[in-house]
Amino acid sequence: MSLIRAMRAWFQRLAGLFRKQRRDAEFSAELESHLRLHIEDNLRRGMTPEAARREALMKLGGVEQTKESYRHRRSLPFLESTYRDLCLALRTLRKSPGFTTVVVLTLALGIGANTAIFTLIDAVMLRSLPVANPGQLYRLGDNNNCCVMSGTQNDGSFVLYSYALYKELRDHAPEFSELAAFEPWISDLDVHQNGAAAQPYKGEYVSGNYFAMFGIAPFAGRLFGPADDAPGAAPVAVMSYHAWQKNFGSDPSVIGSTVRINGVACTIAGVTPRGFYGDTLRSDPPDFWLPLAAEPEPWKLQKAETEFLYVVGRLKPGLRPDSVQARLTVELQQWLNGHREVIPDRDQKEIPQQHIHLTPAEGGVQQMQTDYATGLRLLLTLSGLLLLIACANIANLLLARGSANRAQMAVRLALGAGRSRLIRQMLTESLLLALAGGLAGVYVAYAGAHAILLLAFRGAQYIPIDARPSLPVLGFTLLISLGTGIVFGIAPAWMASQCDPAGALRRAGRAGSDHSSAAQKPLLVAQVAFSIVLLIGAGLVTQSLRNLEDQNFGFVTEGRLIVSINPGLSGYTEDKLPGLYQQLQEALPQIPGVLSASLAYNSPLGSCCWKPRVVIEGKPPDYGDRWTAPSADRVGPHYFETIGTRLLRGRVIEERDRPGAPNVAVVNETFARRFFPNEDPIGRHFGMGDASHSGDYQIVGVVEDAKYQDTRGPAYAMFFLPLLQVPPGEPVRGWVGAIELHVAGKPENLEPAVRKALADAAPHLVVLNMMSFGELVARNFNQERLIARLTELFGALALILACVGLYGVTAYSVARRTNEIGIRMALGADRGNVLGLVLRAALAELGLGLALGIPAGLAGGQLLAHQLYGVKSYDPAILAIAAIVLAACAIFAASVPARWATKVDPMVALRYE
Amino acid sequence: MTDKADVWQGTLALMILKTLQTLGPLHGYGIARRIEQISGGMLSLNYGTVYPALLKLEQEGSIESEWGVSDNNRKAKYYKLTRAGHKQLERETHDWQQAQMILAKFLSATEPST
Repeated sequence: MSLIRAMRAWFQRLAGLFRKQRRDAEFSAELESHLRLHIEDNLRRGMTPEAARREALMKLGGVEQTKESYRHRRSLPFLESTYRDLCLALRTLRKSPGFTTVVVLTLALGIGANTAIFTLIDAVMLRSLPVANPGQLYRLGDNNNCCVMSGTQNDGSFVLYSYALYKELRDHAPEFSELAAFEPWISDLDVHQNGAAAQPYKGEYVSGNYFAMFGIAPFAGRLFGPADDAPGAAPVAVMSYHAWQKNFGSDPSVIGSTVRINGVACTIAGVTPRGFYGDTLRSDPPDFWLPLAAEPEPWKLQKAETEFLYVVGRLKPGLRPDSVQARLTVELQQWLNGHREVIPDRDQKEIPQQHIHLTPAEGGVQQMQTDYATGLRLLLTLSGLLLLIACANIANLLLARGSANRAQMAVRLALGAGRSRLIRQMLTESLLLALAGGLAGVYVAYAGAHAILLLAFRGAQYIPIDARPSLPVLGFTLLISLGTGIVFGIAPAWMASQCDPAGALRRAGRAGSDHSSAAQKPLLVAQVAFSIVLLIGAGLVTQSLRNLEDQNFGFVTEGRLIVSINPGLSGYTEDKLPGLYQQLQEALPQIPGVLSASLAYNSPLGSCCWKPRVVIEGKPPDYGDRWTAPSADRVGPHYFETIGTRLLRGRVIEERDRPGAPNVAVVNETFARRFFPNEDPIGRHFGMGDASHSGDYQIVGVVEDAKYQDTRGPAYAMFFLPLLQVPPGEPVRGWVGAIELHVAGKPENLEPAVRKALADAAPHLVVLNMMSFGELVARNFNQERLIARLTELFGALALILACVGLYGVTAYSVARRTNEIGIRMALGADRGNVLGLVLRAALAELGLGLALGIPAGLAGGQLLAHQLYGVKSYDPAILAIAAIVLAACAIFAASVPARWATKVDPMVALRYE
Repeated sequence: MTDKADVWQGTLALMILKTLQTLGPLHGYGIARRIEQISGGMLSLNYGTVYPALLKLEQEGSIESEWGVSDNNRKAKYYKLTRAGHKQLERETHDWQQAQMILAKFLSATEPST
């Protein structure tokens, strides 16, 4: 009841903001009638007209006071004065466009950088999968181990499941309404549509209940179900909305039509909803989802020890994940105990440690989130620092302005303006500036987030990340805008309101110490300190990136072109592979511009990996754990010279190393050092599997270490076998995945010629992609480059802001001390003295800022240390360069106004007095 | 209590409502006058303070106003109770009496209760 009354009153008062004059006039009339009635009464009681009038006025309590309190009640005075403050602020800002532009731009950069970074954090880290009730999704496992394993898992935490184990859990886990499995990796697909040439696409193999588990409805057609994921079921595929739109022109006739995927005729059942990108946020998500039954290597599904699936389920409401995971762990251990073939005998004792940890899968498999968490947090810190510098700068500008307005402020105080009203009015101005900056910042953020995405995912065809600032992000921007407005506005406002009117009026326009210059100095020192921290950080990450890119990879990045292929998917069976290799090896060197060409299962920085168990002749079996087991590769003749890996001893793999000839192998330095310490590996034998294979291959050469996967750590132990040499009676497993070309000139220019030559030599072979080694290496450092470039940008902005700040404050102090300087010059000071006088103050602030900032920069470097490559966090050269650059820029910025000081004409300065 | 009591906002509103109920539509001056008379000079009232109180009541919808002509042919703004105003008066009178009763009991209680 009373709430309704209060609301009603509030609206009435809101309406009272308008048509003020009419309402004023009406109340004046009412008061007039009141007085007349009163006076008449008084006259009736026998008073003189004079006395009657006086008594009536006295009784009323003053006409103006009554009107004032009536006005106060009539509308909302707070709103009214805010509106007046806003008008005044707009007028003042319009009067000084230079100041306004600088402040809004500075803020736009500061707030825009923060908003852009927060947009990415929001899009990458905070957003849920676009599926029904993502909060109910849980993943069985807590890390991102990939891809195919067997036996026990790292630290006993199961993340990869065999198909048999998945089915066991699925059928005995009533806690989940659906439990789905999928392969952790994206598979290359060859897709033929109506006889057109095959095109490469991205695909993912998932269990039949995958879409049901996510609870999504098809955009068109239908999504496949468990019945489609059974042996013998008609092959189907589901297409992503993005692929349907981009590659099939949203053609409705595609749905229900048949395409050949990896040589199998498949019906396109339907299209997923717009925005659905599968289970993992990543660049280039699947174009097609296929049932696990269609996995091109069916043995993965058949063997109970092949662990290659991630499992995600929808937990029924009201169940506690920790009790569910405890029960799942018991079930896992029982299953492992019941399937002794899964865990090798020597690891059986580890079964009690094997467990399942349920992790929330609201955002899907946290792959990008894990990869980018540190980088994004670092960037958020740096952009926060930048915003602080921007705030300090603006506070300084406002202080300088406030001091310039002291006389005006003093007059207003002297005329009886309340201090709180003055503070409110100045805060209105700074908040208005901050909001304008925030608005411009949203624009900067919009453009910035796009640029950052392109930088972060160089080479990606499609990034399923929406870089548009979302509502929470806009809220965040509004908050930081208001926050910065208050931060940089409150101090100058407070100081201005503290001025003593009499003193200020007396001193107006004259030299003398005041509060604001006392506050400006610390702000300037802080700015210098923050800037040096950012500059040191920028130096460190830039140097680290340069070290990474310029390191000795063990192969040459210039003039190399890598072509990814997958003959298995393109329909080449085992018996056709030797012919294909022969054709390629003959055709490729014929391409004009190609200096040499070779084939390999894996080339550096390409797909990973094959890590067999190795037995060395005459040595006890090496049961080193899986991750340090040597990697294996099969390569053709001229492989090492083509990619530029140097031969250290013996010979490389040549044409003569064919099936039938003695089986040979080439090993890298790390392999040689690890298995043959202080021995000559040449001529020794080793093999893969059990001890009976130890004589399979003879080592004929040692090559230098090359980095095939991890570019930060040392190279892995590796050995290389000829393409087709296998131990007697064994089939050749796998096929060539990469063609390497050493070319003259820019590798990219050769692409059309290579495509044509490949189409002529092997018409069925689909080129998955073609890239220069240089580009491959560059993409490998996407995240490092992103951080380095943004840190450099932030560092440069900080430098500019610090210099602008120093310039502004020095210029202001020169202006304020003009007559002091004039007197000094009249008394005989020369230009050098004056220059020294002005610069000394600037230098003191610079020195203090450096003294505070360098230790902070060193501490910050410590935090960065684990992300740096080949550079110490206290690298003296970087410290020195950062300090010198900052000092040089700062001195330059301060010397401009200092030079003006030397041009002061004593006569003019004194006359001004 | 000192010689003359100041009128505070809440009570003033109640007095205005009661006055309008008793006397029917009335102008500001009449209301102020009546309040002073009823109090028998015990209240010191600036007549001007009646107007913001009237405005508040009008904004809340308890009273409404209209320009009219007084007995001696003067133009004046007349206020009258609305239906909501009647209800409010009833409720507030009840509340006030209850509060008064409780306080009276409280002040007259001499024995410590068990």
